[in-house]
Amino acid sequence: MPTLSNIAAALFSLDAVYVLTGLVLWVFAALNFRDRANANRLGSALFWLILGVIFIAGSLMPHWLTGALVLLMVALDGAGRVGHRARAGETTKSGQAVPKEPTLGNRIFLPVLLIPVLAFGFALVFRLAGGDTSRGALVGLGFGGLAALAAGLRLTRGSAREAFEEGRRLNDSMGSVIILPQLLASLGIIFAASGVGALIAEGVKGVVPGDGLFLLIAANCLGMTLFTLVMGNSFAAFPVITTGVLVPLIVRPFGVDPAMAAIITLTAGSTGTLMTPMAANFNIVPAALLNMRDQYGVIKFQVPFALVMWVLHVLVMWTMIRLSL
Amino acid sequence: MPEIFKLAGVLIVVVGLALRLRTTLVVAAAGLATGLIAGLPLVSGLPALEGVPVLTSPGKEGIVNMLGRAFADNRLMTLFIITLPAIGLAERYGLQEQSARFIRRVGAATVGRLLITYQLFRVLMGILGIRLLGHPAFVRPLVFPMALGAAEAEAGARSVEAVPEKEIDRIKAGSAASENYGNFYGQNLSPVQAGILLVYGTLNSPGIGYAVSLWSIVLYAIPIAALSVVVAAAQFLLFDRYLRRRLAEPS
Repeated sequence: MPTLSNIAAALFSLDAVYVLTGLVLWVFAALNFRDRANANRLGSALFWLILGVIFIAGSLMPHWLTGALVLLMVALDGAGRVGHRARAGETTKSGQAVPKEPTLGNRIFLPVLLIPVLAFGFALVFRLAGGDTSRGALVGLGFGGLAALAAGLRLTRGSAREAFEEGRRLNDSMGSVIILPQLLASLGIIFAASGVGALIAEGVKGVVPGDGLFLLIAANCLGMTLFTLVMGNSFAAFPVITTGVLVPLIVRPFGVDPAMAAIITLTAGSTGTLMTPMAANFNIVPAALLNMRDQYGVIKFQVPFALVMWVLHVLVMWTMIRLSL
Repeated sequence: MPEIFKLAGVLIVVVGLALRLRTTLVVAAAGLATGLIAGLPLVSGLPALEGVPVLTSPGKEGIVNMLGRAFADNRLMTLFIITLPAIGLAERYGLQEQSARFIRRVGAATVGRLLITYQLFRVLMGILGIRLLGHPAFVRPLVFPMALGAAEAEAGARSVEAVPEKEIDRIKAGSAASENYGNFYGQNLSPVQAGILLVYGTLNSPGIGYAVSLWSIVLYAIPIAALSVVVAAAQFLLFDRYLRRRLAEPS
């Protein structure tokens, strides 16, 4: 017989939030299907229906089936069957909804603020219960979204239909870009299994210049950044660069503090994350979420910052080693 | 086949993105090509295909399986979909207008100062060990509309429509960037965050074997985190100057 804490654990789990997200996607699919004005209504409806299936059953389905469904989504999008244009007349120049009479004052913030407040609260509760805070924040984000919807409906006296039509407008304006982060994460796994990472590490080691400390530091940071540009993820690059370059060529020969050298190497990778479309969740999805005209607009803004930070990484690591020698 | 051919996937991505082909298609093609060149089977775990060369190979995970596994494991990246109805509804009832109105009342508010403040807030969240999907939770519903409101106030305009589209796009980019800057460098200031744990785990692994403490890693993350705030502040204040110049021009 299930105990109360077991039920609570199942209810407030990431899987429960995935199921709820899948149901929201099915509503978007149904709204697309019923929209006769949408030339791509069948393709779009099928695309969001499949994504909903993966959200709901992704933990249960065999991986080959999930993979095949992903390929089907890619095929639909590749054939241009997924609509991703906001319909004219419903958005302002800045890409947001044409507002109704704004009579609610600052109270309109309340439902939206519920999302971060619940994310924060769940993170706190998960930590107090000895769980994982990041997972708590994600579960809180999910329930925060629903709580915000309930509060918003009460406050505005709008209909659920209106809310889901608006949600669908945001969703459709992003279109297939929504699945890009998950797709790129898969590409990273395939790259790793194929030995692409090891190959890049070999390449970096092959061009490491001489044994001067400054050049070695620059090569180490450059390797980390290039690796991250390709993989879109500094976490994948870090262990490879650390074991292949940082420890044998800098930390051991020069007697450097490993904690210092390692954390600076990791954040040198972050400068790469700021400059690559492969980090779609940070750079491409936000551009879509904000309805930017240039999907690389966020990256272009970040490049000068990232380049300055990259130089500072080399200088800081060099200075800290010099000070300690 | 020479090892170097495994980089075909990287080449496909670079060329595909440069030609602005459909991104999902480019990524899937790169994955399939890389896996097949590396000799991975296409699919595994399907009894009907057992023994067919190229398609399957005993004991190895198939490319399609990896695709499905990683795609399902990373659903958390796309979880924000669940917040879209609430945010859409609030926007319908004037969230953007109210954010702009709210920020116009703060006389000292400029786009740059607002983005600096938001970045500091994200660094603080990092110190507290909280990871959030900030783009959907904060940037789209609150930060960007507020930044736009600040720009309108600076332009002396009464509505968004007075700010040129190119400048709106750059304000959007800056809003997203302040989230990324604060998130990336702030998260290393807490010993419970994934980046610190990765460094700790890698250095303490048997192959390397350095016994470092979590707190020493956090300590050494401070200089770069501090510099990230300074460099970003400089960029955002320069952005303010650029906007003042652009918004003063008659369009």
